[in-house]
Amino acid sequence: MMRRVLLLLPGLAFVASLASGGEREHGAAPGRDCGVPRELVEDEPRLPGLAERLHAKQPVVITVIGGGSTTGAAAGGPANAYPHWLEAALRRRHPQAQITVINLGIARQTTEDMVQRFAAEIYPSRPNLVIWETGTVDAVRGTDIDDFTAALESGIAALREHNSEVMLVDMQYNSGTASVINFEPYLDALHQVADLHDVYLFRRFDIMRYWSAEGMFDFVDVSKENRAALAAEVYECLGENLAEAVDFAAQ
Amino acid sequence: MAGPVPEGGRDVRLDFFRGLSLIFIFIDHIPENFLSYFTVRSIAFNDAAEIFIFISGYTAALVYGRSLRQSGALLATAQIYRRVWQLYVAHIFLFVIFTAEVSYTLIAIQSPMYAEELGVGDFLQAPHIAIIRALLLDFQPPFLDILPLYIVLLGCFPPVLLALEKYPLVPVCVSAALYALTLARGWALHTYPADHTWFFNPLAWQFLFVIGASLGYAAVDEHHVSRVPTWLSRLAAVIAAGVAVISLSWTLHWVFDPFPPLLAKQLWNHTIDKTNLTPLRLISFLALAASVVHFVKRDNAFLEWRATRAIVVCGKHSLYVFCLGILLSVLGHFILTEFYGGIGTEIAVNLAGIALMIGAAALFEWFKAASRRPRHAAGPVPATPSE
Repeated sequence: MMRRVLLLLPGLAFVASLASGGEREHGAAPGRDCGVPRELVEDEPRLPGLAERLHAKQPVVITVIGGGSTTGAAAGGPANAYPHWLEAALRRRHPQAQITVINLGIARQTTEDMVQRFAAEIYPSRPNLVIWETGTVDAVRGTDIDDFTAALESGIAALREHNSEVMLVDMQYNSGTASVINFEPYLDALHQVADLHDVYLFRRFDIMRYWSAEGMFDFVDVSKENRAALAAEVYECLGENLAEAVDFAAQ
Repeated sequence: MAGPVPEGGRDVRLDFFRGLSLIFIFIDHIPENFLSYFTVRSIAFNDAAEIFIFISGYTAALVYGRSLRQSGALLATAQIYRRVWQLYVAHIFLFVIFTAEVSYTLIAIQSPMYAEELGVGDFLQAPHIAIIRALLLDFQPPFLDILPLYIVLLGCFPPVLLALEKYPLVPVCVSAALYALTLARGWALHTYPADHTWFFNPLAWQFLFVIGASLGYAAVDEHHVSRVPTWLSRLAAVIAAGVAVISLSWTLHWVFDPFPPLLAKQLWNHTIDKTNLTPLRLISFLALAASVVHFVKRDNAFLEWRATRAIVVCGKHSLYVFCLGILLSVLGHFILTEFYGGIGTEIAVNLAGIALMIGAAALFEWFKAASRRPRHAAGPVPATPSE
C-alpha cells in the first residue's frame, strides 16, 4: 500500500499551495522561512482533550518520546531539539496556559523498545498528549513489518488507556537514504496505522522533502562545520510546524 | 493450470506475465513512485514478487522436467546448477554496482541528522566482511533480495524435481507443512548484520515456488490434462474480484481520504508481511492466477498484439531484464531526487526505463536468434524452451 497521493508528490503539494493562494504557515519565531503548505500540517483527526485543557487554561503536559532526532544530539542536545522549540512556540501561542514539554528521546530504539519504556517513564507524569516519533530504527534494523505494526498498535492502545491523546511523527527525509535503507514499507505502515486508529500523524518526512524540493534547505551539500547549525535550524522549524499542527488539532 | 502443452510449444502467457511482473518490479522499486498506483498491488494483496516467483517455479519444472525425461536426472541437475550459477553471478554483479552507488550516497547521508540513527558508518567500515557476506548471500541490501531467494529455491530444486516425477503430490504437501510450521513457529533465516533476517523468507516463499513447480511439472506431460475444475475457477474469480474491490478501495482511500477503505481494520494487518508471504497474500495471488488462466486462454488474441509481444520478449529474457530493471530503478530514483520536475518527469523516467528494458530484451532476442541461425540457411529453427 502507499501513502496519500497528494503528499507522495512534493510537486503536487506545491501546486496545491499555489491553488490555495500560495498560503503558507508562517511561524513567528524561526529566523528563516520554513513554512509549508497548509495541507501538510492541517490534518484530521483533532485532539479534543487537549483543546479543552487549553481552552480552560489548565496546565498541559506533553511528552515526546522518540529516537536520535528527538534527542537533538545532531544540534548539540535537547536545548536545540524540536521538542524544546515546540514548547517555546506553544507557550508563545498560549501565554496563559502552563505548558510543559518532556523530552524522552533516546537514540537507536525500536518501536518495541519505546513501548517497553512507557510504563516507567510516561504514565507516571500523566501527559495529556504523547507525541511519538518512531520508525527509523525499525527500518534500519529491518524489523518484521508486522512486528513493527503490532508494537505501534499496542503502544497507541496503551497510551489511550492511560488517558493520553496520541500524535505520531514519521521519519526524517533524505534523498540518499532510500538506496541504503528500505524506508517505504515502514513509512507506509506508520501512515496506515495512524489512519486505521484515528491518530494524528505529523508528516515530518513530507515536510522535510518539501523544504528540500523547494530549495529552502539543502540536506545534501553541507560542509562538516555547518552541520550542527543546519540541524539546529531544521529542528527549530520542525518544532514551529509541530506547534502549528498541535494548535490546529487542538482547536 | 495450463492445458496440455504441445511438444516444443511455448505458453506465451508465462512469458507475458513474467515480463509484466518485471516491469511492475521496476516501477515499484522506485520509492514513492506515482505509477506504482497502477501495478498489481493496487488490486491485490500480493505484488509482482509473487508473480515472478510462481512463474519461476512453474517454468523451472517445465524446462528441467522435460530435460529430466529426455536426458536423465544427472543432466537435469547439472542444468539447474548452471542456472543457479548464472543467477549467482548476476546477483554479485548487481551487488558490486549497488555498492558503488551506495558508497557515493553514504557520503551525502553523513549529515548529522541521519548518521546517528542510520549507523551507516558500519556499512563501509568493514568492507571485507560485507563483501564476504555478500558472496555468501548473507548480506542483502534493499532491493537486492529477490535473486538470493530465487538462487536458494533453485539450488534446492533437484530433489523436488525428482520427487515430482515419482510422487507428484508429495512435494507440495511437504512444502505446505514447512510453510505452516514456518508461520506458526516464526522460523527465519538470519543475515548480516546479525539482527537482520532475509527480506524474503525462503522457508515461507518455497511454498509458492513448489506450487508453481507442481503445476508446471503437470504441464510437461502432454497427455496429462490438468485443468482447473469449473467450480474452482469460479471460486477463484469470486475471491480475486472481492480482493480487487477491497484492495482498490484502500488505494482510493489513500488518494482521496473520504473514500472508505473496506475491511481495512480487519484485513490490512494480515496483508503486510511480505517477508513471510502471509496466507492472505498467497490466497490473493492464487485466486488471481487461477482467474487469469481461466479468462486468458493460451490462444487469446491479445497475446499477438505488438505491445504484448514487447512484454513477452522481456519475460523470455527474464534474468537480464530483471537485473537491468533493478539498476534502472536505482538510477530512476536518483534522477527523480536530483532533478525533480513534477509528475511529467516521473512518468518520463518510468517510460524511459520500460523502453530500455524492452529494448534490451529485443537485443537479446535478436542476438539469440542470429547466433543460432546457420549462415545463409533459411527455414524455421526448432524452438527450444528456455527457462
